[in-house]
Amino acid sequence: MTLLALRAVSKQFGGLRALSDISFDVAAGEIVGIMGANGAGKTTLFSLIAGNERPSGGTIVFDGRALAGLPPHRICRLGIARTFQIVRPFGGLTVEDNVATAAMFGAAQAASPAAAAERALAVLALVGLAERAGDLAETLTLSGQKRLELARAVATGGRLLMLDEVMAGLTPAEVATMLEIVRRLHREYGLTILIIEHVMRALMQLAGRIVVLHHGEKIAEGPPAAIGADPRVHEVYFGAAA
Amino acid sequence: MRGALALAALALAAAALPAVAGDYHVGVGLGLLMYVALTQSWTVLSGMTGYVSLGHVVFYGLGAYVAVLLWGEAPLAAIVALAALAAFAFAALIGLPALRVRGPYFVILTFGLAELAKYVVIVVEGWLGKFSRVIFGAPDIETLYYIMFGLAAAATLMTFLVRRSRFGRGLLALRENEEAAETVGVPTVRFKLLAYALSALIPGAVGSVMVLRQTYFEPAQIFDPVVSFTIVTMAVVGGSEDMKGPLLGAAGFVLLSELLWANAPQLYMVLLGLLLIVFVLFAPQGLSGLLPARRRTP
Repeated sequence: MTLLALRAVSKQFGGLRALSDISFDVAAGEIVGIMGANGAGKTTLFSLIAGNERPSGGTIVFDGRALAGLPPHRICRLGIARTFQIVRPFGGLTVEDNVATAAMFGAAQAASPAAAAERALAVLALVGLAERAGDLAETLTLSGQKRLELARAVATGGRLLMLDEVMAGLTPAEVATMLEIVRRLHREYGLTILIIEHVMRALMQLAGRIVVLHHGEKIAEGPPAAIGADPRVHEVYFGAAA
Repeated sequence: MRGALALAALALAAAALPAVAGDYHVGVGLGLLMYVALTQSWTVLSGMTGYVSLGHVVFYGLGAYVAVLLWGEAPLAAIVALAALAAFAFAALIGLPALRVRGPYFVILTFGLAELAKYVVIVVEGWLGKFSRVIFGAPDIETLYYIMFGLAAAATLMTFLVRRSRFGRGLLALRENEEAAETVGVPTVRFKLLAYALSALIPGAVGSVMVLRQTYFEPAQIFDPVVSFTIVTMAVVGGSEDMKGPLLGAAGFVLLSELLWANAPQLYMVLLGLLLIVFVLFAPQGLSGLLPARRRTP
């Protein structure tokens, strides 16, 4: 079943064409990776799907509903959750309240503050932040704030989770932990995942399919092995073979 | 628990004041309750969302104008209620465009809006051939005092309830990061607008009571920007992170100004400025933040 369908999606910032003519599908239960150099338009793509930016053209359909023009909070309630590459914690609130807020307002719509707190603590345990629940979010390290971003997105109760470089800036040990968390979210929580990642090995291990963007255009799509062997991808990443 | 007891004692003292004090002190009490009501209301917007209004006098002035226009045409209770509703509706109307800008832009916008409203009222009054209006047969000070007591209590209760509600949590989230808040499902546009309108509601009623107290309406005097400045100063000095702050700020300031106006009037504005600087630099959480508090759970 197709959960998310993009058709000819484009985004223009003034004279700059950030994305043009992007089409692909995500089936329920898939992990799809988004790959591309800096400035390829990956984060812009997430912003269009989550409603933080409006597409200049094309259609985005989630679970049979067209998303164009909906504000972010409506899209969140329909079941799409995203993290921000540059972390955006509610710094002055506690770690628990950060996540509980998402449980209260997101697709899950926790019935009471107690239910929201319970859900928050469960998700915090999953990402390994349970001991920090009572601390202010601004006191977390970068690694902690990345996990908080993830926890907040998961707590909304969305079915589609969009992860924007949740492993960037982490140590190899932390990357391994994060990989395991994402796998569990996929396996145990049954989430469909769209993931942007620069840590290539992580992406190759996780994703069943990869979409490659370059200068705002989709240049390749396929299983990791095929992408790894694709000459166009090599050209973009390493320059043309002699 | 101790807080609730202290609050009840305060309320009792305030309710008993007219029975034990003369008109002068009831007048001081009225001024104190007025600023409690205004500052508590202000924190619902500016404390909770971080959108700092430097023009809250506009709602006060609007309420006063409604009261002057309706005085003699409608009963007192209806006038106070209509003044509140007018301010609420006005805020809901201008909030939609105004709340699109953040930070210093919003501050300047609210200030400009209050000045604009003042001059519009001056022009309208000019057309009507009125340059000031005198109110005849205004209620006595005790009646006004008790209405103001009700407004101050209502504003304090509103702050308390909003802070504990789901709505309040949404406001805090958008204060911390607006884009993240809307991305986790907080309807930021609607929430900001409601906070703005709620923060205007009681100030509208306060304006209607104060103009009846002054028995005189002159736009330049009613739409006085110093009222807006005083609200912000009280919130900064008292703190705007809980309902204690505005109580402390308003009490401290009204007492201080009583002492200074009597003994050294030229020092009043100087001290206002100094206190503001000292608190912003050394106690950004205000007096309330200096108290030995329990752990903050926003």
